[in-house]
Amino acid sequence: MYVYRIMLFLVFGGYLLSPMLMSGWATPGIAWYRPFLIWGILIALSVWLEQKRHLDER
Amino acid sequence: MNASLGGVFLLGTGYLSLLFLCALAVERGWIPSRIARHPAVYTLALGVYASAWATYGSLEFASQSGYGYLAYYLGVAGAFLLAPVLLLPIQRMTQTYQLSSLADLFAFRFRSRWVGTLITIVSLLAVLPLLALQIQTLGDTIHLLTQAGSPALLALAFCLLIALFAIFFGARHSRLHARHDTVVAVIALESLVKLVAMLSLGAIALFGIFNGPADLQNWLDNEGLRHRMSVTRLEPGQWRTLLMLFFAAAFLMPHMFHMTFAETLSRRALLKAGWSLPLYLLLMALPIPLILWGAQHAGADPGTLGSAYLGFGLSDSPWVASLVFIAGLAAASGTLIIIALALSGMMLNHLVLVAHPPSQQPNLYRWLLWLRRALIAIVILGGWLFYRTVGIKNDLTSLGLVSFVGMAQCLPGILAVLYWPGANRKGMVAGLLAGLSIWLLGSWWPLLSGHPPVIIIPPGLEMLATEPTWYIVALVSLAANILTFILVSLITRTSEGERAAAEACSVDAVIRPKRLPLLAANGEDCKRSLATALGRDVAEREVDRAMSALRMTDEEHRPYALRRLRDRIQANLSGLMGPSVAQDIVDRYLPYHRDGQTATDDIHFVENRLEAYRSRLTGLARELDGLRRYHRRTLAQLPIGLCAFGDDDELLMWNDALSDLSGIEGNSVIGAHRNSLPSPWGELLGRILTEDAERLYKQPVELTIGRRYLTLHKASLQGDDLERGGSVILVEDHSELKWLEDELVHAERLASIGRLAAGVAHEIGNPVTGISSLAQNLRYDTTDPAILETAEHIQQLTDRISRIVNSLVGFAHGGRHAQTTNFTRINLHQVIDEALHLIHLARSRQDVSYRNECPQSLYVDGNAQQLVQVFVNLLSNARDASPDDGQIIISVTSEEGGVHATVTDEGSGIDPSVRENLFEPFTTTKAVGEGTGLGLSLAYSIVAEHQGHIRIESPPPGQAHGTRISMWLPLSKEDGNAPHEPNSNR
Repeated sequence: MYVYRIMLFLVFGGYLLSPMLMSGWATPGIAWYRPFLIWGILIALSVWLEQKRHLDER
Repeated sequence: MNASLGGVFLLGTGYLSLLFLCALAVERGWIPSRIARHPAVYTLALGVYASAWATYGSLEFASQSGYGYLAYYLGVAGAFLLAPVLLLPIQRMTQTYQLSSLADLFAFRFRSRWVGTLITIVSLLAVLPLLALQIQTLGDTIHLLTQAGSPALLALAFCLLIALFAIFFGARHSRLHARHDTVVAVIALESLVKLVAMLSLGAIALFGIFNGPADLQNWLDNEGLRHRMSVTRLEPGQWRTLLMLFFAAAFLMPHMFHMTFAETLSRRALLKAGWSLPLYLLLMALPIPLILWGAQHAGADPGTLGSAYLGFGLSDSPWVASLVFIAGLAAASGTLIIIALALSGMMLNHLVLVAHPPSQQPNLYRWLLWLRRALIAIVILGGWLFYRTVGIKNDLTSLGLVSFVGMAQCLPGILAVLYWPGANRKGMVAGLLAGLSIWLLGSWWPLLSGHPPVIIIPPGLEMLATEPTWYIVALVSLAANILTFILVSLITRTSEGERAAAEACSVDAVIRPKRLPLLAANGEDCKRSLATALGRDVAEREVDRAMSALRMTDEEHRPYALRRLRDRIQANLSGLMGPSVAQDIVDRYLPYHRDGQTATDDIHFVENRLEAYRSRLTGLARELDGLRRYHRRTLAQLPIGLCAFGDDDELLMWNDALSDLSGIEGNSVIGAHRNSLPSPWGELLGRILTEDAERLYKQPVELTIGRRYLTLHKASLQGDDLERGGSVILVEDHSELKWLEDELVHAERLASIGRLAAGVAHEIGNPVTGISSLAQNLRYDTTDPAILETAEHIQQLTDRISRIVNSLVGFAHGGRHAQTTNFTRINLHQVIDEALHLIHLARSRQDVSYRNECPQSLYVDGNAQQLVQVFVNLLSNARDASPDDGQIIISVTSEEGGVHATVTDEGSGIDPSVRENLFEPFTTTKAVGEGTGLGLSLAYSIVAEHQGHIRIESPPPGQAHGTRISMWLPLSKEDGNAPHEPNSNR
């Protein structure tokens, strides 16, 4: 259950801060793949939490 | 591009044929079910979310709003990242109550068929633009590929093929909540195809048009900057609203709800999808900017192609065009199939069956199946008509946004289902109608009619006037929806049924069903009752199915089990006809037996649910649950039998000790009425429950383990919580105590007999002494040798009577026998001969022979008469046990300090269970009336007085049968040997 709270915190935190993602589109020098990189990190975190949850509930 | 119409048709039908082939392969088992049911396949099937919006609409959106297009992917990814707290509870509900659509869920939660109808209508209105969007992309791409004037007919042909596929492979069963492996596999294949196509297009852009990522970045920072600067960046508010709309779409859109919950593989698969679907969407989203920038770099003209179809501008190659077309076709066809399946189910349950209940259909299953198939065709054709009349006049983004804003009107409702048990039907309907009206007037009607939107901006929000229409409508309609919902729910009353359903749906609440008996007494009664509504065949199949799922037998009659059967039947019927109709049927034909009873909580069921919820509990709830388990374990493992009954005499608890005593497992009787408990428990427990007495002492009962004496104690359960009354009964096994008491009484009786015998013996002594005197006198009165011998025998026998009488008196007085001071030196051979002589006098069993193997030279100190008595007792026992013509051997050997005498017979031997007690008084193996049970105990006492010991071997070592009595006696002191007792183990 605590794992779920971390995920809630991450998703809602991401929701509030996400408008910053869009600034890269028209800004020179910022890598075009930056939003996808952040997204990928979030997925990796989610995989890790899923493993942790699986161990918790075993 | 100048592809022929026939060529495009061939490409499209070729692709759709591949889908048919895939469906056939899964259905025929050519693809193993472990692959078809793999979580990865399920994740790919969830990729149905990536509709034509993902392949074309996102390009259009990206060209207008830059990274704003990501909202479509990130919103739904967020919802799936929250799968454990958001999607799993919905999955639990839909699986438990067999709910196959959002309308089913709302109708179940708010206990109203009209709510289901309303949600169906909202879904239908909201999804039509999305359906039109899918078909429009088909029409547009065909037009772009062939330059044909009217591609609508070709789009219609594709729609018909898709409808056929949905009918053949998606509507094979009348039951809606049944996983269709073929459909899941086909949609997974479509997702894979569109992913590969999109990644290929992205790769073509990145490496074909640009020279890799570095070149792309260089172009973006220089020439491409002009294109990038031309986009209109979304305001944070708009962006967040979009994210929320797409977040809601993850579980509100009919196709997503259907794929996530109605076709769900397992809890584990859904948890895996929590990260794997966001990964899939990431891969789908990644090529969008690459294709856009590639097309811009290649000089594609958005004016000619339309910004949604810039992929065609990547290259003139027919392969690239085919990839763009197939990506769109895969996305559109998958979405059309699942939306058609989902909407047809909703329309069937909440429009058709509500208007026309299925009572007494001759073949209910077939009727439902064909209705559903017709509805699938109607939905897809409805989408095509909407495209022809409305969609064609609008761009993809407008169509999609109208659809997503419309479905988002159900968001407050579903959040209330999960997290607000206080919400009620009136509030939900009022809120939904408020939001829906604003959406219809602001978005849907203008889309349909072309008229300008009618939006009333509330005072204080005038700054919204300049914002895009979709944004204003979304904000105002949702705000009105939520506020009305909360207000009306707070000021209106919630019905009992709604409250119960709210508890069943709420994430934090445990379902607390009430405990009432059914009118139906068993499964057969259920079938009979339901036959009125469903027909005999369907009723039998449904009841049998429910009983099989619960592993119940026809003999089951426990009220608890019948309540579970009722719930299961309702859930199964819900999967067939929707929750509203199912509830109506079950309430009407399987009613509870109320009879003025107050319904109390079904504690056993609540406990079972708590066991299942354990991993979800945290903090105080987990601590309390730990305490509950501890107390439960204490009662369950109490070493005294314990059972508890509710006020309605339904058995609530049956602990382990009672299971051991009764031989009845708790699981087989918990939930039963006390009258239906197996004999003798129903009668016994019924007696203490109905009588005023709080105890029943030592009640004799015949159990499987034999006759037992049970003491029952009763206490009434009346605490602060008056709802949960009843009685608790302790069952103690007092059998051993009872047997001890009986033995004590028996012993007392024997003691009385002993005292009586002593008295009688005393009285017998006088006449015997007289007889002995007369026999002695006779010796002086005659010289006849025969008379003299008779007189001698009379004297010997009277002496023996006197000794027996003396022994009996001595035994009755605590085993005090003759004093050892009377011991004399005795020849053992003579003692044995005398005993044999006396045995022969009895004149019974003359066939038995005796052999005295005692040496003449062995002497012991003792009382000759007592030792004769010992041998007489041993020999008479051996004689009685011997077979016909049997032989009894008396052998005596000299040992160190003593003699070892044995009496061996060839009889059947002695039962081991009796052997240990043979030296105890009144123990005998002989038939009643043939033995007193005193012979061996007297022999034991006499041998003990002679400082010897005696033991039994049966059978003797080296013999198959027979018995040997062994005695050890000390040698006479006059022989110069001090008595020395041998090893007592012998």
